[in-house]
Amino acid sequence: MAKGEKFINKLKEKVKVLDVSYSTPDQVVVLVPRSDLVEAVRMLYYDMGGWLVSMIANDEREMNGHYALYYILSMEGGKMTIEDELPQDEKCFITIKTLIPETDPTYPSVTTKVPAAVWYEREAYDMFGLVAEGLPDKRRLVLPDDWPDNLHPLRKDAMDYRFRPDPVAPEDEPDYPFLFPEGDGVVDVPWGPLHITSDEPGHFRLFVDGETIIDADYRLYYQHRGMEKLAENRMNYDQMGFLAERVCGICGFNHAIACIEAVERASNIPVPRRAQFIRVICLELERLHSHLLNMGLACEVTGNVTAFMHLFRIREYTMELAQLITGGRKTYGNVMVGGVRRDITATEIKEAKVLLNKVEKYLKEAWEAIMEDDDQVERWRGVGRLDPKVARDFSPVGPNMRGSGFKRDTRYDHPFDVFDEIKFEVAVEYGCDVLSREKVRYKEVMEAISIIRQCFELMSGGPIFIKPDEYLIKPGNFALGNTEAPRGENIHWVMQGSAQKVYRWRCRAATYNNWPSLRFQFRGNDISDAALIVCSLDPCYSCTERITVVDVKTGKTKIITEKELKEYAKTRKNSPLKK
Amino acid sequence: MSLKLLDITREIGIVTYDYPFGDYEVHEGFRGKPHYEYEKCIGCAACAIACPPNAINVSYLKDEDKSKWEFDCGRCIFCARCEEVCPTGAIYLTKEFENSVRFNKEDLLQIGELEVVRCRVCNKPFTTKRLINYVIERLEKTRVVMNEEKIELLHTCPECKKNQAVEQFTKSVRYGGFK
Ligand code: SF4
Ligand code: SF4
Repeated sequence: MAKGEKFINKLKEKVKVLDVSYSTPDQVVVLVPRSDLVEAVRMLYYDMGGWLVSMIANDEREMNGHYALYYILSMEGGKMTIEDELPQDEKCFITIKTLIPETDPTYPSVTTKVPAAVWYEREAYDMFGLVAEGLPDKRRLVLPDDWPDNLHPLRKDAMDYRFRPDPVAPEDEPDYPFLFPEGDGVVDVPWGPLHITSDEPGHFRLFVDGETIIDADYRLYYQHRGMEKLAENRMNYDQMGFLAERVCGICGFNHAIACIEAVERASNIPVPRRAQFIRVICLELERLHSHLLNMGLACEVTGNVTAFMHLFRIREYTMELAQLITGGRKTYGNVMVGGVRRDITATEIKEAKVLLNKVEKYLKEAWEAIMEDDDQVERWRGVGRLDPKVARDFSPVGPNMRGSGFKRDTRYDHPFDVFDEIKFEVAVEYGCDVLSREKVRYKEVMEAISIIRQCFELMSGGPIFIKPDEYLIKPGNFALGNTEAPRGENIHWVMQGSAQKVYRWRCRAATYNNWPSLRFQFRGNDISDAALIVCSLDPCYSCTERITVVDVKTGKTKIITEKELKEYAKTRKNSPLKK
Repeated sequence: MSLKLLDITREIGIVTYDYPFGDYEVHEGFRGKPHYEYEKCIGCAACAIACPPNAINVSYLKDEDKSKWEFDCGRCIFCARCEEVCPTGAIYLTKEFENSVRFNKEDLLQIGELEVVRCRVCNKPFTTKRLINYVIERLEKTRVVMNEEKIELLHTCPECKKNQAVEQFTKSVRYGGFK
């Protein structure tokens, strides 16, 4: 039986299946009529143990006269209990595809049944003008508030990729409708949107009652760079990988691999084994430095600067490791369609092993000391709870998910490259809180060290690259590429076009799947833990420039500086809200 | 705070580098700022075509007898594609990582001007002198005898070559001499 057939047969009992095709042996595409879309996704998600990994809207009018939607589900089991998991050989990706006529660009909202789809459906409206009927939250997601109303940039005939609409005067700029909970004494705390320490700015609104957060809303995408449009219009495949790398300053290599492997899978390009090992080594290297960064920050936000310094001291060895193996402190510029560009020499492997030993020894020692420190552990325990039921509905990923007891890891569920030959444990913790997430990270650093060591042992000689004249890129083919980035699974989806260009590229970073459920993680926590909770998702945020507090009853506003909030998060004395 | 961490601190001692007051050694094979050797460059533009973020541009200035090779370090992603494709080793990555400049973005540029060759037929500049010399040198190594006709062909731009080929072809058809 071909992969996924079992699920499709079950689907057929209730849903009209128009067509079934395979992008790769474990990526099945099922075409259903628009009217059956919701039921098809719901059945796969809840009845058969699926998770929403991405949704792609596409303008296929020049191919078949329609827009298309692709809801991709990772079939792996509900995982609410240990038994609730599919056998390895049944796991696969199933894509529910539906076509939408140009004359009636609407479809029934899947979010009504599967909440995980909410951001995807909001984005499909922004980018393509496809209206999800019944979608509970129809606000803009990606486009700025002053973007012209009927301009949907990813429609093929919408605009040139260089077009920039005229800026709008501040008084004409439409207000963004933030959510607002009902109730007495609710204080609205906008947070941002100015510079956040690391790479992404965002605007958070915390609704607090006294010191307790009762709800939150956030607006992101202040730095949407339009990469997908750019790639479609002016990049070839070689350039695209380098662009994908720049999605993130921390886990860029993961993006490059997911993007390039999507192309390779769509065209069935055999990547040499040695190249696959090198890819895995670089991916795990990225996990080392990324996790150490996050573990360090989680200490720093709570005022434990000593621990932060120690973790960063250890992190420096991992940066050196990256430099040794790839020629740069970041692992960038190494991967292209067909393999990797830089081999690893025997001397480098020898030196790398010494560095790995250091990281392992020092981290073990430092982590044990941190875990013995009750002050630190108690700041993490019970904070930012991700309830397993909420998690099941929203498909979060990464340590965020694994800290709530779910054994979800795309390296394990859908092994790529040489991951099926490597032995590793998926790190799972059950506390659902910040503490669990940090523990997961510690375990994963240790596993990553072991994975890199195994790669060094198993790696055989041979080429690291196959030449472009040895494969063919076929227009219209599509596939997805997956990697387990430090903050969770990254999914890239590529549909190939003609003339060395992509037709559609959809990049879904790990954190995209973690944001929608963050709201629930805030609830019931103390405002001094807000920064810590965001930090534990590892979206590279750790503090904010300043906060404005608005007392809803009196309409008074108050500005709290970053320093005040940070100080409060560290010491939990002298609440800035009470001053 | 954990006393154990303090013990570790004492044991480890100082780990910070003296940099920028002392040296910071990078590893062998570090990919730092590309270096351009003007003497070796033949202006073939292979690097400009390979460079993913368009950090290198090779342009033919209109009505001028120079072709301009220009590298902007501000755009460079240190991928070493240029080094890979350069036929003469005129550009390669160094270990240098101190790339910031003060106030003047021009300091990020490296520029080389090369003498151009004009097409014998249409007089438009189309390649560089060094490139033609390079081609002749390579051909001679393979024992191709360079005669007047071949040299002339080398000095004809692709457009004119195309036209000439069409002309010759139609002539031969007109005079019935096409075999
Ligand atoms: S290193 Fe890469 S980005 Fe820099 S000039 Fe060379 S090809 Fe361009
Ligand atoms: S010789 Fe090398 S540096 Fe000069 S243009 Fe050609 S590829 Fe570029």
